[in-house]
Formats: sequence, C-alpha cells, structure tokens
Amino acid sequence: MDLSKPVPNSSESTDDTVMIRVSSWTPEQQIARLLSLCEAQMESALSESDVAVEALVKSFAGLIEAGQALGSINEKTPEAGASDLAGQLDALKKQTAAAIVAFQFYDKLTQRLGHVRYSLSALAMFVCDSAKTSERDQWKRMFATLRRLYRTEEERQLFKMMVEGASAEEAREHIQQSTLTLRTAPTGEIEIF
Amino acid sequence: MSGSASQNSRVILAVDDSASMRQMVRFTLESAGYRVVQAVDGVEALDYAKNSTVDLVLTDVNMPRMDGITLVRELRGLSTYKFTPMLVLTTESGQDTKQRGKQAGATGWIVKPFSPEQLLSTIARVL
Repeated sequence: MDLSKPVPNSSESTDDTVMIRVSSWTPEQQIARLLSLCEAQMESALSESDVAVEALVKSFAGLIEAGQALGSINEKTPEAGASDLAGQLDALKKQTAAAIVAFQFYDKLTQRLGHVRYSLSALAMFVCDSAKTSERDQWKRMFATLRRLYRTEEERQLFKMMVEGASAEEAREHIQQSTLTLRTAPTGEIEIF
Repeated sequence: MSGSASQNSRVILAVDDSASMRQMVRFTLESAGYRVVQAVDGVEALDYAKNSTVDLVLTDVNMPRMDGITLVRELRGLSTYKFTPMLVLTTESGQDTKQRGKQAGATGWIVKPFSPEQLLSTIARVL
C-alpha cells in the first residue's frame, strides 16, 4: 500500500472534517491513524481475553462440580461408584484441557499489549522529531516498523485494515467476527515439516 | 532451569520466556507421563542440552537473549541433536518466520494456543 496517498473515502459523507481528511496529507492525519490502530489492537486483545476469562470461569466451575461429584461417589461403595467415577474423571480431564487453552490467551494478551505499548512509545518519540514528521518516507518507515512488530494473524489483519483506511466501526465489526471465530476454533494450526 | 520426574523415560525440553506458558506445557506433558525440563530462553536451553540429553525440544520463538529459531539452528549443529525432534510453539503464524524455522531444522510448527490433545498427538507423531 502507498501510504503517501490520502485515506480512501469510504462513504459519500458531506462532513467537512472527513473531506479535509481525505483530500490532504498531513502529519497529524498519520498520527491519528496510528493512534486509532493502537486503540483497535487493544480493543481486539481485550475482547479476546473476555473469551478466555469466560472459558476459565466455565472450566473452573466444571472442575468444582466434578470434584463435588467425586466426593459424593467416594462415600458410596467402590463397586457402585467405579463407573460413575470414570465418567467424572473424564469430565474433569476435558475441563482441565479447556482451561489450559484459555490460560494461554493471557500470554497472548500480554504479548499484544506489549506491542501496542511499543507502538505508542515509538510514535511518541517520532512525533517529537519534526524533521521526520514532515517526511512521507519517514512515515512509511514508521508503519513498516510497526507492521513487523505484529506477529499474530489477528494483529496483522487489524493493522492491514487500519492502514488501508478502515473506520473504527469497520474495525469493531472485524473484532467481533474474530471473537466469534475464536469461540468455535480457539486453537492454532499445526504443521509438520 | 527446573525439571520434574515421572514414570516415562522420555525427556522434553520446554523453552518459553512466559512462566504461565511453561506451566501449561508442563501440565499437559506430565499428564501423559513425559519428564519435562524447562528453560526460560534459548541460552539456558542450549546450555542444558549441551550437558544433558533430551528426546524432544519444544520451543517458543520470541525470547530474550536467544530466540527459538537460533536455538534450533544451534542444536542441529550438535551431533547429538541432528535427529532430535524440535517443535516450535509460537503465536507467530507468518510464512516467512515459519520458513526460517524450517530452514533452521525445526520438525514442526504449532501456533498458540495449543490444545493438550493436539499437542500430545503431535509429539507422539514425531517422537
């Protein structure tokens, strides 16, 4: 993408501020774009963590329930409880597996927020250098630096959307869609070379 | 560096700078009877591997001091680790990084988050 081009107009809005935004290139416009990107990344990460926390709560509730059931079975005679116990242990195993997947999203969240923090820090330094902020090539480099920072698929997709001029609403829709996908397929791909 | 004993003689070196990730990996592998040795980065893992023997290496990519791809490359350079399975467990899903891992000698690539069942079946497949 050529970042020197104005942000594409996504609507036929007659709003003056929008018209100014799409018709001219200014350093301030680029700052706004980057800050929007950071905000969207944080929102996406938080949305993802909500799913994980929800799964954790469910998993632990299941574990507690299974533990209580095991306690009840323990009071029965071994003969009567053997098959029930196997079933409860199997349920416990499934709940533990779900908790292990959910816990990993905390690690991912930490990583993503770390990237956002780095982005904000880099931007803060950048905007202080007026010689850089007036140069389009320097902005291109800044975007390229941040692009390399984002390593997960979710981060990359969101970055692409925002630098290509997506609105905050479009980004929010994308995040909601990603969260839905996450609920149905929470784990990553595996490839053997 | 920390380890744990179990009935299974297979030793897996789990490398990740995130303590919670190391714990999730440990819970999963120990439940299947593997012995798990943990390292916080590539430097610590390489140091351990040079002085001991492990049956499989499971490593993250982005870590301080030495990343996972460098670790795989360094281990492949050692005669004792030429044929040892080395799996990369990372949030990185980009083809470029994956290709770098493959070229360094990684056996496979697992994108986080992992499911315990899938991780165990992948390990069983490459061991």
